[in-house]
Amino acid sequence: MHRELRLRDVGRRYGPRGRWVIRHVDLAVAPGTLTRVEGANGTGKSTLLRVLAGLDAPSEGRVSGRPRTAYVPERFPAALPFTAAGYLTHLGTVHGLSRPEAARAARAWLERFDADAHAGTPLARLSKGSSQKVAVAQALLAEPGLLVLDEAWTGLDTAARDELDRAVGERTAAGGAVVFVDHDPRRLAGAVDAVWTVADGTLVRRTPAEDPSEPGPCVTVVVQGPPPPPDVLRMTATATETAPGTHRLTVPATHSDTVLRALLTADPPRHVVRVAPATPPTDTPGTHR
Amino acid sequence: MTALLRYQAALLLRSQRWLPPVILYAAFLAVGVQAGQPVLDSLGYAAAGLLPVAAWLVRICVTGEPPAARAVVAAAAGPARAHLACLLVAAATATVLGTAAVVLVSLVGDPVGTDHRTRVPLLPAAGAGLLAVLVCVLLGTAVGALTAWPLLRSTGRAVPALLLAALLALVVTGSPAQAAVEGLVTGSQSGKVPLPLLPLAAAALLTAGATALACALTARRAP
Repeated sequence: MHRELRLRDVGRRYGPRGRWVIRHVDLAVAPGTLTRVEGANGTGKSTLLRVLAGLDAPSEGRVSGRPRTAYVPERFPAALPFTAAGYLTHLGTVHGLSRPEAARAARAWLERFDADAHAGTPLARLSKGSSQKVAVAQALLAEPGLLVLDEAWTGLDTAARDELDRAVGERTAAGGAVVFVDHDPRRLAGAVDAVWTVADGTLVRRTPAEDPSEPGPCVTVVVQGPPPPPDVLRMTATATETAPGTHRLTVPATHSDTVLRALLTADPPRHVVRVAPATPPTDTPGTHR
Repeated sequence: MTALLRYQAALLLRSQRWLPPVILYAAFLAVGVQAGQPVLDSLGYAAAGLLPVAAWLVRICVTGEPPAARAVVAAAAGPARAHLACLLVAAATATVLGTAAVVLVSLVGDPVGTDHRTRVPLLPAAGAGLLAVLVCVLLGTAVGALTAWPLLRSTGRAVPALLLAALLALVVTGSPAQAAVEGLVTGSQSGKVPLPLLPLAAAALLTAGATALACALTARRAP
């Protein structure tokens, strides 16, 4: 399966006499985890993501264990002489798919982001939002081991944002690592495994006590059967056995589809008794910000 | 790598940015190559003209993508490999163009020396022309790679540097391109077809070095 991507004492500056943009960064991104990177503007978030995506080589330190990587930039004004579907097919093959697979995946992802009407539109004529959908689709279509999202939600409409949230959930459920930056502090809240803050040119892990603690909308799933499999438990906020053989799971809404699919296809399949909107898992007062 | 090459080739072909250098090269040939001229002279002329064209094609391929699109491909394939694909596609395009020029020149040229009396065997002459074309394509690729991103970023410096380097590569003694072209011209005077293998080897080495340098710097320079 995928290996863990490790940054050891990584620093990055542009030019041998340039200012250090980031320095002394130690970071491990394990397979199947969702990592959020925060920081004020101009602190080096994008540089860190470029190093994570393999676009920038570290000026010092080491990066090891890189899985197959995909990157989504914040803006994708790609005035390339391709149609949306043609471009995605090319990118799919660059990601390692065969041409028919890539063409199929391109259609499927354009459809998922409700952009199939633009499949034959030249990239140069796409709106900003549709361009961003193409940028997101090229990263998702090859199911990368590491997905790096630099404010990828910016410019997407609400439906596409939700779809991207779900796609991120599916990626981590399938064992891929996802690292993202987004200006919305509630983005994927409740599903994030680690939050790192870029400050003063280095990276600090936010301790759980000061975690966002503003979990997004959750869903309660009641299932019957043996205890839920570990890949499901990884996506749940809380899991309690309310009665023998009955489990109540609280799941971030973005991951509900993935959790239900995992439960229904588990061996033995679990019986889903009830799915309902839930209040987020309660925090002890004081840690709530 | 095949997928990257297909992508870059499609990008170059569909962008139609190859048209200006190709048209200019065709005009260059139309002006300088006439039916009945000694074939080795014309081949030398065709090869020399291809060097700046190859450098220009490299520039077109390297600057063909907006930074965001380049980043997306570089993440998927690695920045060095993505850059290598740009250079290879440009060199291949220049080679196709040069091969067409050699065929054309061999057909319209007269298989004689400069004195219009000594016979020059046509097929070996065309072969020598093809080798000289390869030398110029390789050196042009090196010039293009060394005068574009990631080595030179601002267009204001890169374009004059490209023109100057291309000119120097053609005239400075010791340059493989100069040696290959010179070999064809003196071969035409003496009526002996040269075999520019040494310039070819030197050009291959130089270009490999330039390509390795450019590819290694892609992840180190600012985007």
